[in-house]
Amino acid sequence: MINILPGIDSTSAALNAERIRMDVVSENIANVNTTRGLDGKPYQREQVVFESVLQAQQNSDALGSAPQTVQIARIEKDQRPPIMVYNPSHPDANAQGMVAMPDISIPEEMVDMIAASRAFEANLAVVKDARAMAMETLSIGKH
Amino acid sequence: MIDALFSQPNYLAAKKMLDCTVLRHEAIASNLANVETPNYKRLDVAPSFETQLQQAITTGDPQQIASTQPELAVDTQATSGRADGNTVLLETEMMKLNQNMVEHTLETQLVSGALQKLRTAITGQI
Amino acid sequence: MDALSSLKLMTMPQMTAGVNNPLQDAAVAQAISPAEMQSLEAGASTPSASSTQPVYSFQNLLGDFVSDVSNKQAAAGEAVNGLLSGKNVSLHQAVISMEEANVSFQMMVQVRNKLLDSYQELMRMQV
Repeated sequence: MINILPGIDSTSAALNAERIRMDVVSENIANVNTTRGLDGKPYQREQVVFESVLQAQQNSDALGSAPQTVQIARIEKDQRPPIMVYNPSHPDANAQGMVAMPDISIPEEMVDMIAASRAFEANLAVVKDARAMAMETLSIGKH
Repeated sequence: MIDALFSQPNYLAAKKMLDCTVLRHEAIASNLANVETPNYKRLDVAPSFETQLQQAITTGDPQQIASTQPELAVDTQATSGRADGNTVLLETEMMKLNQNMVEHTLETQLVSGALQKLRTAITGQI
Repeated sequence: MDALSSLKLMTMPQMTAGVNNPLQDAAVAQAISPAEMQSLEAGASTPSASSTQPVYSFQNLLGDFVSDVSNKQAAAGEAVNGLLSGKNVSLHQAVISMEEANVSFQMMVQVRNKLLDSYQELMRMQV
């Protein structure tokens, strides 16, 4: 690829990763009340795990001092046990009248979503600046 | 002989600083991309480059200026206030992004101005 | 940057040794070596010594100049190739290379024009 916009690989990988994270958060929020998922068990909260990958560079020397792209390592299911809520009239109530609800708290998910959206906007600003820098460079020496 | 046209210390220093700002943008892009990655340490242009370049400018030797080379290094000054060992702070990074952008504009104008002055001197026309 | 003083670099120091000497202008068209000019003016007593030294004539000067300019063009072409093929050349390096090659080429064109003008003026001189 032509190396015109500096740092574009990091930024596009980050935009992707943040968008996936937003997708996961919105799925968690949508399933806050799902007591019976596809496997018959209550919905298990999902979480993304970021990891940074060293960009393949021709002159990258020590690990950690070259620009690193980020990628989603995996989307793992949270191991929190479902919380039991007393609701005997619920169709999924067990013998004691307790329903197993997913352990998803809306404020926590909202905080995640805000963090993801701020990171997304920050990376958008980086791309805009990279483009502005490239356009300025192209007009070097011209009136 | 043509090299004498382009060996003014100011011009060479402006070119080196331009290299530095482009490299720093890559570092900032990497930092902002990894703002949520656990144990990521923030990158920046190595501070030894700045000191080298300042020294070279005070001596005014074109060869010395041209031989400085900016490179990326892990920022050892950054402290991690976060639980996941990540040393990137979003607001600080955005400020550095803005500052770097303005520096880049400055260096581009310096380089461009030098080339335009040369052209004017050579052709005699503005 | 003092562009005018670097333009003055074009007229080699040997040439400006006797700067107001009208013979100097004639030497532009002919290849009287500057070293011999200096020895004539200074009344040096060893004219033979100067002819044993290698003489940097105006012809050599022009040849070096043209090869410098073509080196700059070649470097610019390499930089652009490196940029397009994705090697480790960044955009600003390629753009600056191209602009410097451009400026050098303009310099050469202007030098050629001035030489032609002075030659034509010389030819117009009444004998």
